[in-house]
Amino acid sequence: MAARQPRFNQNVLIDTTPLPDSVPKVPEIGASSAPLLSASFFIGARCGAYNDDYMKCKTEAHGKGEVECMKEGRKVTRCAASVLDDINKNCLEEFRKHWQCLDNNNQQLWHCRRPEQLLNACVFDKLKLEKMIPGAPENETPVHLRDRQIFSHNMSSYRKPE
Amino acid sequence: MAQDLPPSGGYEPVQYKRNLPARGFRPSYYLFAMGLICTYGLYKTGKGIREQNELAREKMWARIHLIPMLQAEEDRDLVRRTWADKAREKELMGGESKVYHSDRFVRPTYTITPKNVTK
Repeated sequence: MAARQPRFNQNVLIDTTPLPDSVPKVPEIGASSAPLLSASFFIGARCGAYNDDYMKCKTEAHGKGEVECMKEGRKVTRCAASVLDDINKNCLEEFRKHWQCLDNNNQQLWHCRRPEQLLNACVFDKLKLEKMIPGAPENETPVHLRDRQIFSHNMSSYRKPE
Repeated sequence: MAQDLPPSGGYEPVQYKRNLPARGFRPSYYLFAMGLICTYGLYKTGKGIREQNELAREKMWARIHLIPMLQAEEDRDLVRRTWADKAREKELMGGESKVYHSDRFVRPTYTITPKNVTK
């Protein structure tokens, strides 16, 4: 088994044979890294159970999970797609602002707290999904809710005090 | 000849102390001030480290939430290619051979170049 994963990026080397019809079709996500990072905590909030299920299935399959866990994998993809779809439908403006800010700031979340605050508020209002960082110390404000970010260099990092 | 003796009444005192004024505050004040500055700096550093830890936790969880989705997509693609390879082998060789001495899923290593490359 090759240790390095072979990747065939050249146009001509793509094997285009589709999956057989016995496997249900699922559209892939197709989002780039910034929107995914922007939506990651909402994906985690809604799809946590599916995600855990899939990872557990892969762990317990002992190396055969690629084939055996396809069903769980489809659920994971559909759930993530549904979150992105909902955000796109309900909070497109805020979502775009945030991920474009991330793209312009090296994809470092602490530079974009203001757009993130607007996005989080919108998503919480419309979709009831909340950003939660597990394992954060309980006696202090979670880092994404602090008014000032020590390491940020630009003004869009400042949250408006509520 | 008379012996050389100290003058009567003794020698005058020798001035060995330099007569310079001591500048500034007492040294202990400087030590104290340095201690204060260092304490402030360490306090700020500690704050920064705490915040960095939290930012790292945030980034880690963002990735943890995304990994299953990315992995699922990748796995689907690998399975698709593996099955395509197997189908091709069956068509060409008339049967399936067991290449690896393992029941595990082995990622496809080779790919097929199309017969007619137009560009």
